[in-house]
Amino acid sequence: MSAGSDSLPLTVLLISLGAVLGAWSRYYVTRFCTQRFGLDFPIGTLLVNLSGSLLMGVAAGLFRIRFALPNLDHLFMVGFFGSYTTFSTYALDVHYLFRRRAIAPALCFWLGCPLVGFLCVELGIAIALWLTTGISF
Amino acid sequence: MAIALGAILGALSRYFLSAWVAQWGSQWAGPDLPLSTLLVNLTGCFGMGLLATLFGQRVLGHAPELQLMLTTGFLGSYTTFSSYELDLAGLADRRNLLADGLYWGASTLLGFGSLLLGVWVARAIAPPVTLD
Repeated sequence: MSAGSDSLPLTVLLISLGAVLGAWSRYYVTRFCTQRFGLDFPIGTLLVNLSGSLLMGVAAGLFRIRFALPNLDHLFMVGFFGSYTTFSTYALDVHYLFRRRAIAPALCFWLGCPLVGFLCVELGIAIALWLTTGISF
Repeated sequence: MAIALGAILGALSRYFLSAWVAQWGSQWAGPDLPLSTLLVNLTGCFGMGLLATLFGQRVLGHAPELQLMLTTGFLGSYTTFSSYELDLAGLADRRNLLADGLYWGASTLLGFGSLLLGVWVARAIAPPVTLD
C-alpha cells in the first residue's frame, strides 16, 4: 500500500480506469484461450496470472522500488494488474479440475501456479531494476 | 459493461479494505504479514464458490449479465493474484522465509478451502436438483 497520492477522487478514478481495462483484458484472454484450447485445462487463468505477475513485478520495480510514483502505482498495480489477475477464478478452476477427477493437473495447477507466479514477479522486478540502472531524477 | 461495473466496485473494495486493514491490522499482526491481500482473497474465494454454484444450479435464474458482473467483474477484480505474488516477493526480500512459506501455504490451502466452504453453503441453501 503506497501513501501520499494527490487526492482521493483522482485515486478512485485511476483505480477504476485500471480495473475496467484489466477485467476486460482478463475476460477476452480467458475467452480466447477457452475457444483455442478448450476446457480441459485452465490455460487462460494460468496465462493471465503469470503474465500479470511478471508485469506486476516490472511495475513494482519502476513505481515503488526505483521511483515513488503513487499515481502510476494506483493505475497499474492496484487497478490494472490487481484486476487483470484473479485469485478466486484460480481457486474455482482448481475445484473444477478436482471435480473432474483430473487429480495430477489439479495438484500441479493448485500448488504450481503460486510458485511459478512468484518467480515471474522476481523476474519482473529484476527486469525493471536492470532497465533503469543508472537512471535517477 | 457489466464486467466494467463489477470490476470498478471490486477493485475499489479491495483498495479501501486494504487501506483499512493496513491501518488497524498492523497493530496486532505486525506489518510483516500481508493480511489485507489474504483477507481479500479468502473472502473472494468464498464468494466465488457460493455464486458459481448458485448460478450453476440456476437458483438465481438464467441471468448471464448478472453472473458476469458478479463473478468475472466483481470477484475477479476484487481478488488478486499478482499482489499476492508481490507480497511473497516482499517477504522473500526481507529474508522472512518462515512468513513466506506460511503465507504461500495459507493462501493456497485456505483459498481453496474457503471456495469449498462457499460451494457447501450454496448447496445447503439450494440442494442440487440433478447431479452434474
